[in-house]
Amino acid sequence: MHYEEPSLTATLEYTMTPEDFIPKVIEIKNLTKTYMMGQVPVEALCGVSLSVHKGDFIAVLGPSGSGKSTLLNMIGALDRPTSGTVIVNGTDISTLSDNQLADLRQSVGFVYQTFNLISRLDAIGNVELPLSIAGVPKKKRRFTAEVMLKIVGLEDRIHHKPSELSGGERQRVAVARALVNNPSFIIMDEPTGNLDTKTGLEIMEFAKKLNKEQGITLIIVTHDTEIGSQARRTIRLRDGQIESDEVNY
Amino acid sequence: MRSSDVLGYSFSAIRLRKMRAGLTILGVMIGIAAIVALMSFTAGLQVTMTNQFEEGFGSDTLTVSSGGGIFDLLGGGGADSDFSLLLNDTDMINAIDHVESSVAVMTKTVQANFSGNIVPGSLSGINFTAYAAMYNTFVAEYGSIPESPVDTDVILGSAIADPWQNGTIVAEVGDEVSIVWTGRVNGSIVQTNYTGNVVAILEEIGGFGIGPLDIGFYIPIDWAVDFFETEEISSITVKMDTEEQDEVDALIAEIEDMFGGLVSVTQPAALLSMMDDMLGILNIFLAGIAGISLIVAGVGIMNIMIVSLIERTREIGILKGMGMHGRTVMGIFLSEAMMIGLLGGIFGIITGVVLGNLIGGVVGDLGSSGIIPAGGPSSIPDITPIFTLDLLTFAIVFGVGIAAIFGLYPAWRASKLKPVDALRSE
Repeated sequence: MHYEEPSLTATLEYTMTPEDFIPKVIEIKNLTKTYMMGQVPVEALCGVSLSVHKGDFIAVLGPSGSGKSTLLNMIGALDRPTSGTVIVNGTDISTLSDNQLADLRQSVGFVYQTFNLISRLDAIGNVELPLSIAGVPKKKRRFTAEVMLKIVGLEDRIHHKPSELSGGERQRVAVARALVNNPSFIIMDEPTGNLDTKTGLEIMEFAKKLNKEQGITLIIVTHDTEIGSQARRTIRLRDGQIESDEVNY
Repeated sequence: MRSSDVLGYSFSAIRLRKMRAGLTILGVMIGIAAIVALMSFTAGLQVTMTNQFEEGFGSDTLTVSSGGGIFDLLGGGGADSDFSLLLNDTDMINAIDHVESSVAVMTKTVQANFSGNIVPGSLSGINFTAYAAMYNTFVAEYGSIPESPVDTDVILGSAIADPWQNGTIVAEVGDEVSIVWTGRVNGSIVQTNYTGNVVAILEEIGGFGIGPLDIGFYIPIDWAVDFFETEEISSITVKMDTEEQDEVDALIAEIEDMFGGLVSVTQPAALLSMMDDMLGILNIFLAGIAGISLIVAGVGIMNIMIVSLIERTREIGILKGMGMHGRTVMGIFLSEAMMIGLLGGIFGIITGVVLGNLIGGVVGDLGSSGIIPAGGPSSIPDITPIFTLDLLTFAIVFGVGIAAIFGLYPAWRASKLKPVDALRSE
């Protein structure tokens, strides 16, 4: 029986794309998440599969109830899937204990719509917090936090409490806090939702700059198509499934 | 997260809610202060009373009494009220083994008139020399105790000479004193006057005991027999030549048998031990009451920690979202509760020390300021509360421990919050 061995070159040409050479930070396969609303099961995500590569700038779009936040919770290791796999930085989160999940979250940056700053801490205290949780010594974390606040343009507001800052400034503190731990990716959940248009655009410009110049992987969840169009890749969710996954040129 | 950062974070949370934390600390403080004040005071009281009893009785003495008196309550009992001891009963007692000597004491309540100053007191007819040999507190501060007293010799307790203990001296050595006794002799009420001369004033003795008293007048026993027209005496104090409990027990039994069980024989050492036990129970009882107030404070801590948990659910979500472990969240909540306990403990100890001294001072003042004048049941010595390191350590550990126990449940609940749910809370 004659067996013809395929040439290596032909195989590579057939299967590999340029993206395959860039490491994946997130890989999701057949993800489902079912919540119980009282006695009624509700499928928030059903069979979602996607990959995020290092340096990606992704916008996840979709109407309310489409499963955006649920997807974000899975990617951010805040919750476990009902079935399927979510691999973050090479680790399947469904196999991790609560403490291991917490450790994994230390390598993820979160920016929330409502800023979620600790009101009694000043700007630098908030930015220091992820480093403090990671056990970084005080002197080092203070220095790093100051640098981050400088990067977001708040070097003269470091001792102001959140109540003494404008919405845009608070969101910049939140961005500095998300960046301070040198995360492998940043998740932004409606980051402009609580800001006026001009400040929202400023934040988006800053996010784009971070992605372009620092190569930071960004996943922005929004229902605003205009914001979404600024990302390089747009994933549209509807009824817990991916409706489209497009690259914006 | 480092322990110092956990403590710093907890402290910042306490500082934010100063009023609420302050009131909770106040609750713990009251409990700790009550424990420290009461326990230190009772410890002081115990020491003072023990000293007084030891001085007042002597550990090698027995008291034989016919009526029982206070000993009826404390374990004597069984004495027939119609039976009386007589002066020459001492001869019988002296003949018993292990009895070194015995002194008959005839006691009556009288009033003395020192140039118009009327002072009530307790008059005892005794053998001065034998009594002085029995009690080392029967020592003259002014004048001297005569070895061969004449009938008119009177010795005064310090509180008789200086009834208000404020320097207002009503009697000095050499003064004449007129003593009036109103009582019943052979069925009819009589009032008898006795005029004597003060030959000695005793050193201050302090409160307790059946021996020499600050509020006592002492006259020779022979004169007392004439004055009261009776040979019936109140008690016989027996000095033993042994402290072996078996021999003492045998001696007590022999004396009781001698009088057909109609007398009470009280051993001061046994009384002292009984008093110690009673004070110990009192101490536990008072500490228990104070402990209850601390438990109430603990419930207060639990209450504010649960309120804090509800208010800070979102904050817990944010912290967990940044990778904080559940046990660190638990540490933050527990250390908040324990800091409240610790601060309450520290302030409680300070307040307790002040309060303990205040109670000691007030009780001491009752005896020395004339609120309880001479002639009252007994003069009250100053009671110095005792603050041992053990007590203060116990107070702090108890305060922090209660706070930790009551803070455990809210801390555990906080640690178990799911970050995704916590972040969703308003």
